Amino acid sequence: MAADAPSANTAQPVPSGRKNDAKVLLILWIVLGTAGALIVGLVWGPHMPPGRMSTSAEGQQFDYQVLGAIATPVVVGVLLYFGYALVFWRRKPGDDTDALPLHGNVKVQATWIIGTATIVMFLAAFGTYELVAPAGAGGGEGPQPIWKPVGTTTSSLTSWTPGTSNILQVQVIGQQWAWTFRYPQFGGFETTQLVLPVNEPVQFNVTSLDVIHDFWAIQLGVKADANPGLNNVAYTTPQQIGSFEVRCDELCGIWHGSMYTTGQVVSDANFMAWTKKTAVQLADVTKLLPPYALTYDPTTIPAGKIMQDLGLTSAGGGYYNPADPVQP
Amino acid sequence: MSLPARVATLVVAFLAVVAGVVYVVFGLIGQKPAVEDFRSYASNGSVDVTMMTAPQTTVSNKPDWVTYFIKNPATGQFDHTTYFEVPPNTTVHMTILGYDGCTPLRNPLWGKVMGVAGGVENVSYFNKGKTTPAQPVQVFNSYANCSVQHTFAIPGLGINVPVASPPTVEENNNLCTISPCVGNNVASGGAPHSIVTFSFRTPNTTGTYRWQCFIPCGGGFLDGNGGPMGTPGYMMGQMEVYA
Repeated sequence: MAADAPSANTAQPVPSGRKNDAKVLLILWIVLGTAGALIVGLVWGPHMPPGRMSTSAEGQQFDYQVLGAIATPVVVGVLLYFGYALVFWRRKPGDDTDALPLHGNVKVQATWIIGTATIVMFLAAFGTYELVAPAGAGGGEGPQPIWKPVGTTTSSLTSWTPGTSNILQVQVIGQQWAWTFRYPQFGGFETTQLVLPVNEPVQFNVTSLDVIHDFWAIQLGVKADANPGLNNVAYTTPQQIGSFEVRCDELCGIWHGSMYTTGQVVSDANFMAWTKKTAVQLADVTKLLPPYALTYDPTTIPAGKIMQDLGLTSAGGGYYNPADPVQP
Repeated sequence: MSLPARVATLVVAFLAVVAGVVYVVFGLIGQKPAVEDFRSYASNGSVDVTMMTAPQTTVSNKPDWVTYFIKNPATGQFDHTTYFEVPPNTTVHMTILGYDGCTPLRNPLWGKVMGVAGGVENVSYFNKGKTTPAQPVQVFNSYANCSVQHTFAIPGLGINVPVASPPTVEENNNLCTISPCVGNNVASGGAPHSIVTFSFRTPNTTGTYRWQCFIPCGGGFLDGNGGPMGTPGYMMGQMEVYA
C-alpha cells in the first residue's frame, strides 16, 4: 500500500457557500421578521388571551403582544438560517472535503452579544414596569401589597358607593372544593356568586379554609394563591360587562378539576341591586358567620354547651383516637 | 456496571414506576362505585331517591370511615355507593336518613339550605321508637347547637342541604354501630337519627354533577378532608343525569 498516496479526504477545503449568502439571509430575515412581528403584534395580538375584560387582562394582553412581536424575529431568524443551510449548504454529490476552519468573527460576536443583551435588558425593564404600573398586574401581592391602584383608598371597610375612591373589597375564600365570596362593605354576607361592578377598582382578599388553592379569574387576568391563614391581595378594574370563568389553579384534591364557577361583571346599578337582594336573602346565615376578617381559623369556634359536652370545639377536622384499632 | 446489568436495572426501575402508577390509580383512588339507576322509576316528572349517612362503614375494609349509602330502587336494600342516575327535567324527592352525630361546619355558610324547592328542608328526628313531626328548616347553627352532621351539596346546581343530626348528647353517644343502619335494632336501624326531606329539579341537559359533603368529616386526615371526603363511594359522589 502506498502510504503517501493522496486521498480525497485530505483535499484542500474550499468555500462551499455562495458569495452573497449573508446579504440574502439578512434581507430575508428583515423582511420576514418584520412581517412576522407585525402580524403577531398587531393582527394576532388583539385576540390573545386573556382579552380585555379588565385593566389587568388588557395589560397582560399588551405584554403578550410586545413579547410576541419581539420573539417573532428571533424565531424567524433561527428557522430561516436553519432552512437556508439545509437548502443551499448541502453536501454536493462526490464532495468529501472538509468545511472551512472557523477563526471567529468579531463583528458577528459583538452584534450577537449587544443584540441579545439589549433585548434581555429591555424585557427586564419592560416587565418590571408592567408589573408595577398596573398595581401588580392582577397577581397576588401577599398580605401587604406595595403596588396599589392609583387614585384608590380604603377609607371604609363597611360601606361602598359607586364612583368614589373607596375601593370595593371582595374576599375570596377557597375550600375543598368550592369558592365562596364575602362582601364586607355590604353587611359581610357570603355567597357562592361572584358579581362585580364595571369600571370600579376591586381589591380581592384571597384566603383558604383548608389547603392551598389558587384563585384564577381567567378573563379578568387575576390570579392569586389562596393560602390558609394568609391574606393574598390582588387588584383589578373590570371594564367590560359580561361573564368570566373562575377556576382553581392549584392541585387541591380529587375535585380540584371541578372547583370552578362563573362570575359576572354588571353595571353599577345592577351591582347595587344584587348586593341589596343577596344581603336580604342571606341575612339568616350571615349572622352565623364569623366576624369579617382577612383570615379565618376553623380550629377555634364559638362552640355551644352541647358541642362542648360532646368535645366538639373545633371545625378543623377530627382525628382518630390513637387507641382506635383501625387506623386509616 | 455491565450493559446487561444496566439494562436490567432500567427495566426494573421502569416496572417499579408502572407498578406505582397502577397502585395509585386502582389501589388508592379506587374503582368507580356502582351506579343506582332511578331513571325507570320516575313517573309524572318526579322520582324518589333515598340515601343514608352512617358513622362507619362496617361493610367495607374501611370500617372507621363515615359514609353515605343509597337505597337500591329495585331491591330496597341500602347499597354502599354514592353514584346515582336520574332523568333530566325531573323533580327529585330526596330523603336522607341521618345516622351520624353532629360535627361543626368549617364554613357556617353551608348551614344554609340553598337551591332546593322553597329553600327549605323538612326535618324530623327518630329516637327510642318515636318520630317527631317534620319541621321546615332554612338554616342551621352548627356551632351553637348539635344540629348538622353532614351536607349534601351539588355545587354545579347551587344545591346545599345540611343533613340534620340527632340533637342531644345522649343520642350522639348511642349512634348506629352497624351499617347500613337498617332494621329495628337499637345498634342499627333503631338508633337515633334524623329524617331529612327536600326536593330539587334536575337540569334539562344531560351531564354528570358531582356532589359532596362540606363538613371535614374525614377524621385522621389532613384538615379532615382526606379519606372518606376524597374517596368516591363515601362522602362524595356523582349524580348522573341521563334520559
